[in-house]
Amino acid sequence: MRRSSNPILIFLLLAIGLLFSSCKSSGPSAQGPIQVTDKQGQTFSLLAPAQRVVSLAPGNTEILYAIGAGSQVVGRDSYSDYPAEVTAVPDVSGGFGDLNTETIFSLKPDLVLVSELTPPEKVKALQDLKLKVFSLANPTDFEGMYKNMEIVAKLTGHETETSALIEKSRARVAAVLKKIAQTTKHPSVFYELDGTDPNAPWTPGPGTFVATLIDMAGGKNLGDILSSAWAQISLEELISKNPDIILIGDATWGGVTLQSVKERSGWNALGAIKNNAIYTFDDNLVSRPGPRLVDGLEAMAKLLHPELFQ
Amino acid sequence: MLEIQSLSAAYGKRLALDRVTISVKSGQILAVIGPNGAGKSTLVRAVSGVLPSHTGKIRIGGNDLSSLSPGQRARYMAVVPQARNMPAAFTVYQTVLLGRTPYLGWLGQTSEQDQEHVRIALEQTQLLQLAERRVSELSGGEQQRVLLARALAQDTPVMLLDEPTTHLDLQHQSSLLNLVRKLATEHQLAVLMVLHDLNLAGLYADQVALLVGGRLQALGTPQEVLTEKSLADVYHIPVHVIPLPEYGSPLILPDGRGPL
Amino acid sequence: MHLKTRPYLISFALLLLAFVLSVAIGPVFIPPGILLRVLTGAFPGILVPPGLQETFSTIVFSIRLPHAILILLSGAALAGSGAVYQGVFRNPLADPYIIGVASGAGLGAVIAMAIPWPNSFLGLYAVPVAAFLGATLTIAVVYALARVGSSLPTTTLILAGVAVSAFATSLTSFLMLRSNNELRRAIGWLLGGSVMSGWEPVLAMLPYVTLGLGALLISGHALNVLQFGEEQAQQLGLPTERVKAILILAASLTTAAAVAFTGVIGFIGLIVPHLVRMVWGHDYKRLIPLSIIGGGTALLLADLLARVVIAPQVLPVGIVTALVGAPFFLWVLRHAKNQAYW
Repeated sequence: MRRSSNPILIFLLLAIGLLFSSCKSSGPSAQGPIQVTDKQGQTFSLLAPAQRVVSLAPGNTEILYAIGAGSQVVGRDSYSDYPAEVTAVPDVSGGFGDLNTETIFSLKPDLVLVSELTPPEKVKALQDLKLKVFSLANPTDFEGMYKNMEIVAKLTGHETETSALIEKSRARVAAVLKKIAQTTKHPSVFYELDGTDPNAPWTPGPGTFVATLIDMAGGKNLGDILSSAWAQISLEELISKNPDIILIGDATWGGVTLQSVKERSGWNALGAIKNNAIYTFDDNLVSRPGPRLVDGLEAMAKLLHPELFQ
Repeated sequence: MLEIQSLSAAYGKRLALDRVTISVKSGQILAVIGPNGAGKSTLVRAVSGVLPSHTGKIRIGGNDLSSLSPGQRARYMAVVPQARNMPAAFTVYQTVLLGRTPYLGWLGQTSEQDQEHVRIALEQTQLLQLAERRVSELSGGEQQRVLLARALAQDTPVMLLDEPTTHLDLQHQSSLLNLVRKLATEHQLAVLMVLHDLNLAGLYADQVALLVGGRLQALGTPQEVLTEKSLADVYHIPVHVIPLPEYGSPLILPDGRGPL
Repeated sequence: MHLKTRPYLISFALLLLAFVLSVAIGPVFIPPGILLRVLTGAFPGILVPPGLQETFSTIVFSIRLPHAILILLSGAALAGSGAVYQGVFRNPLADPYIIGVASGAGLGAVIAMAIPWPNSFLGLYAVPVAAFLGATLTIAVVYALARVGSSLPTTTLILAGVAVSAFATSLTSFLMLRSNNELRRAIGWLLGGSVMSGWEPVLAMLPYVTLGLGALLISGHALNVLQFGEEQAQQLGLPTERVKAILILAASLTTAAAVAFTGVIGFIGLIVPHLVRMVWGHDYKRLIPLSIIGGGTALLLADLLARVVIAPQVLPVGIVTALVGAPFFLWVLRHAKNQAYW
């Protein structure tokens, strides 16, 4: 082995060097009137509001339609399904989460919106083809989501409508918070993301947007006791913590109903099951970083504190 | 030509060869006989250089083999193993051609001279007709002849054969050994041949070495070594040795009707 | 039987055909005439609608051409290594992943994907580099485990490969479970297919594959000799242990380079050498180069199938090679003449 390891090392370094030497900068070099800064602090600019946008994340797609830029969307990923009219827009995904570079390129977009979940290889592939790609950061709170809306508005030329929309959203959120402030009750909430293994269902942990929403809606996220953002909790732990309310988020994907949850062996020990304090919840309202987060907050608040929303 | 001096080899703790000293002259056939597990195959493996460790000296034509690379060693001695598990798809020609390996480069390009050696080897082992046949289509006897031809093509002064007559019927046993005898004389080869059949050893060998428990028990002409007393001791059954003056070697008849 | 003569002509012709088809077919339809014009730059007579010239040109030269070359290199590497492994281990079931290269590469890749890199470019190139390092490390560990003095007993090598593979695979699964965000990306990578696009992965992979394949190409004679067993090979003058070590190393590194950039694609390394043997015989001096060419062809065709069979959806190439390769091979085996070809 020793004899041949040196040339290998050299070639390894060569290859790495080769790769790095061909690194290109991430944004267009021309300065344009429209400028926004991305999460890394780099400036991204366009010469004019984008008229042909390809959106590769459902949350961003919802933002585009909410701010009135729906007619400027020429391509979407397969998860973007709201509002209904977006399904008429071409799906650039190749299946298995793959995003087809050729299809995206052939749509001749002047802006490609991606999220932090978009594979970096795809981002680079699109940038290599001289497409303008902007990555919207994952928001951790409502202000972060409003910031994204403002960025998208600037990039697509809908700043006025968006300001109004953001103000309305802030008002709605404030209204909910005001109502919640009236109570001292904070029921503990178990939010199920994935119950494929009923003995160890997945739930959002501390620091996630869902946890924040539950908190803002006047509840306590059971998952806060866990150590990572998304984790499995054992059924035993769940029973011993005995949450007041159970929200079934995976009912959104089909296959899971309130009845099927009640029938899970061992789950009848949970107080929430006995008291019928178990509800399905549209996961899209809390997992997509878009304007419907406000709807999600309102829906959750109404579920957790029906007495405040007569 | 072939000098084996004080060769010892062990498998772990077990001593398989114990200071064996044998020499074979050119044109001579030396048969190595002995009971199972006596170390006969080990001897061939040690001499041909495939045993990881052994002590003692092996010389061919005065040259010490221990300092040689496998390629150089293969120009001095060729081995004819037992014909089993041969790769089925090889043709006879391709197999015999591999005997030229010590003279070919890394890429295996053959010269006219190599091809001539192969042709001669095939001719002398009567395999020319079968040259393009696949090895899998041949009988056991023919396959053994192919390996003999391969060793011949290797063009070495020394040839080692490891029980070449196992699995062969009477006819093929004789024809093969007749061939070995002929080649040894014609090409002045020093032949060391491991045999289990005592009669064949007597008939075809100039010298016989009796190996027991890794040790050289006896070494000499067939008449000297193949005696009733020594054979009975070694094989633990009564043995009749019937002299056949016209053959130059005796007939060995084991009397296995009961233990000693 | 015309098929048996002119093996190189036929092999290269098939390769060329597969390559052209690969470049010609994609989600965006490019009429053949226009494709010809774009590729060759000639034929001014063929009219291209304005604006599309640049689009088609970019698609062909920046997307399809580098992708086809990457796939070709990978297929060639896998089939060449597979043929050498089958020769060294004298086992028709040997494939390039037999001593754990794939699992090591997979572990490296998934580790790289799980780490939150500060710079997105670093995170991008970390994956193939980590995959390659993982593969190389696995080879080193297996080699160290199996080595006895100066020799490399074949059985021990395979067993060590199995053990290390199992370890790496379970570690990989554990990591995948922990990093939810990267799960889909990891699965996609493990199922095989070209993840990175453009010319850079091609240029990065080229030196390794060229060097590796070069070493494999000249191993034909040694492999022929090895077919009679290691003892006989040594007696015929081949420095068996050294040759084995060099061949295994070369084949493993070639495989590692392929896996690092195109993920774990199965069956090509196993089946292509057998197909070549059935048509053109067992002589490794021909088997190796023909397997290399055939591997490129086979993977190009599998990749093409992966892209068109359920268009516009794209299947991972590894799934196509498994689903198509296995039954196809069984069918060929049944219809092959009943003569020894191994």
